Amino acid sequence: MENKLSDGQISRRSFLGWLIAGLGALIAAVLGGSGLGYFISPVFKRKEEGWVDVGPVKDFKSGVPAKIEFAARRRDAWVTTEHRASAWILTSNNRDFIAFDPRCTHLGCPYRWDDAKKQFLCPCHTAAFAIDGQVVSGPPPRPLDRYTTKVVGGRLFVQPLQAKA
Amino acid sequence: MTALRAWINERLGWDKIWQAIFERRIPEAKGPVAWLYTLGSALLFVFLVQIITGALLGMNYVPSPDHAHDSIRYIENEVLLGKFIRGLHHWGATLMVILVFLHMLRVYFMAAYKYPREATWLFGVGRFLVVMGLGFTGYLLPWDQKAYWATVVGVNIAGQAPVVGPYVAKVLMGGDAMGAATLTRFYALHVLVLPLTAALLIGVHLFLVIWHGISEVPRRVGKGERVL
Repeated sequence: MENKLSDGQISRRSFLGWLIAGLGALIAAVLGGSGLGYFISPVFKRKEEGWVDVGPVKDFKSGVPAKIEFAARRRDAWVTTEHRASAWILTSNNRDFIAFDPRCTHLGCPYRWDDAKKQFLCPCHTAAFAIDGQVVSGPPPRPLDRYTTKVVGGRLFVQPLQAKA
Repeated sequence: MTALRAWINERLGWDKIWQAIFERRIPEAKGPVAWLYTLGSALLFVFLVQIITGALLGMNYVPSPDHAHDSIRYIENEVLLGKFIRGLHHWGATLMVILVFLHMLRVYFMAAYKYPREATWLFGVGRFLVVMGLGFTGYLLPWDQKAYWATVVGVNIAGQAPVVGPYVAKVLMGGDAMGAATLTRFYALHVLVLPLTAALLIGVHLFLVIWHGISEVPRRVGKGERVL
């Protein structure tokens, strides 16, 4: 630092100082950047689709809700678990399908289809839902939850939701 | 800016710390020999990288025989930059073993372990053992065939020691055979015991390096000259 430098000239010492700082910043950026990316990667992770094949569409009778049971696979990071799940399937033309979550929207009890009353009845707190899932009577706060459905090659697929804790 | 600097200085004495660490007098070393003096700081840098990447890997790793391998496959294939972070940790471990050997050899051949730096050397030797331990315990964690059988061999080597051998092997494995207890034991050693020991030893080692200063490059003694 003692040697006199004219304007615009850089001393060897300050050049090396800047070089070290620059390389350090580069290393910190690469290491810190990739570490940060790794840490916050759950933010970018797409939700698992999890379609389940529940059989050929011609097996479902029009106008009569049918309860189906199936095995749903759930992938939780590196753990894959299989659990039994079910749904109520409703169709009027064997092309468009509605799949109801089999848990009552009040407190999660399983409900059943009453063929005489043409309603879904929940035994826990005497809730009743119409065939389209709308609340007819009782405490449920909202219509029945629906699973997404699609028909591919004559087979029905549903996408069960994960239970909300 | 200067106000902030003054504020920090008044509370932390940062300028003095900076001077003590980075502006201390060091012996002049010229040419290729000067590069030998960079090994210690290279080790410190790699150690920091290992701590960071290790902490990140720990977020997605399970030390259980059921899931250890799956969780590593998950890191490799599904976590953003997981492969890169794991690669850094893997190669960092290899580099650390190489560097710790070179650093130790340099200090030995330059006789830098002599008075008054014996304690620095001893803490460094402790550090060397910890690096070996980290390498050994980390190797098992992927829980694949290579990791498993390499550890079997390592444990059997320990088991060969006279009298205490079988007991040492039993302690290492956490039981009579390699299994779940071995994995959790190695994991605890790898992420808790050994890194903490390493940090402690490095702290003392660095303090002593600054306290004593580093030794000069040894030179040939001429006729009639006396070695101190």
